[in-house]
Amino acid sequence: MASHVGLVPPTPAPYKDNEPKAAEKIDYLNLPCPIPYEEIHREALMSLKPELFEGMRFDFTKGLNQKFSLSHSVFMGPMEVPSQATETIKIPTAHYEFGANFLDPKLMLFGRILTDGRLNARMKCDLTDNLSLKANAQLTNEPHMSHGMVNFDYKGKDFRTQFQLGNGALFGASYIQSVTPHLSLGSEVFWAGQHRKSGIGLAARYNNDKMVATGQVASTGMVALSYVQKVSEKVSLASDFMYNYMSRDVTASFGYDYILRQCRLRGKIDSNGCTAAFLEERLNMGLNFILSAEIDHWKKDYKFGFGLTVGE
Amino acid sequence: MATRVALKANGKKGSKTSEERSTVKCLKEWSTWMMKKAKVITHYGFIPLVIIIGVNLKRKPTLSQLLTPF
Repeated sequence: MASHVGLVPPTPAPYKDNEPKAAEKIDYLNLPCPIPYEEIHREALMSLKPELFEGMRFDFTKGLNQKFSLSHSVFMGPMEVPSQATETIKIPTAHYEFGANFLDPKLMLFGRILTDGRLNARMKCDLTDNLSLKANAQLTNEPHMSHGMVNFDYKGKDFRTQFQLGNGALFGASYIQSVTPHLSLGSEVFWAGQHRKSGIGLAARYNNDKMVATGQVASTGMVALSYVQKVSEKVSLASDFMYNYMSRDVTASFGYDYILRQCRLRGKIDSNGCTAAFLEERLNMGLNFILSAEIDHWKKDYKFGFGLTVGE
Repeated sequence: MATRVALKANGKKGSKTSEERSTVKCLKEWSTWMMKKAKVITHYGFIPLVIIIGVNLKRKPTLSQLLTPF
């Protein structure tokens, strides 16, 4: 490794301004810290998978303190129930959700409880500068339907590693390392005792100021590639390709993300014949209007939703 | 109790292995019991815990601010 070490010039000499930027030597001992392994597709997910919904949604967040806030949320609309037949079954539901959030630089607590007794809780705690503990749980009153997971994250100078424990004897570990200032490579292993499954996966991410390209392969048969290009300050385009070589399932999607002064518009089109759009419009300080549409021509499933979000 | 009866029926296998098996089973039962209690405590107590932590900060919100939606 010593032969690859290039020294960054200590002070800029007068002639340096004429040299192109690419001529800077890479200092392999000072690489940036990579993105966490589970967020490797972050930009593509943000553009291509907004939270589409069907029905009416109203969210109200009341900040009581700098760190503490309560939230009230009402949802009315059809919810999809997974079914064996090709027809999707929708059941009209209405629920109210109460939530409490506590946000501190060192500790974050997030809890949401629904009227049917389901609790969704998340906790993130920074034990030291580099080690952090995350836990999340979905608890229900029905037996055997609750899930919980605990993660320990260690952040090194140019690598990150994570260890995961979940209920049902689920163990996972992942490691990601910056190889050059733009490229990072990572891998993960998991073992699920209850389902008797285990797997290993590899991922790579290349990014610079204008684009992000990621690729991920897993032994469960999944191959996922994505590419996001930032065309300008306000516009970015994303595309995504997912292939499962065990079940021969292929999906490709292409989307756009416009971030304008008063609104954010995201849209995508899929190879399954599904187009979707999601608009968040800022009507006033703290008041956001949301429209969501998803049209699946193949399955003839049309979903439209509207909502209002009040509060920061 | 059912586990002890079943283990006595297999008593010929050797008392040492049956003791090890019963301690492992005891540990499993005890950890399952603890996980069930922890689940119930978290289910009922997480949101009150967040509220108590939030209310005990420097700028305490009043009870009326907590209950009304505005």
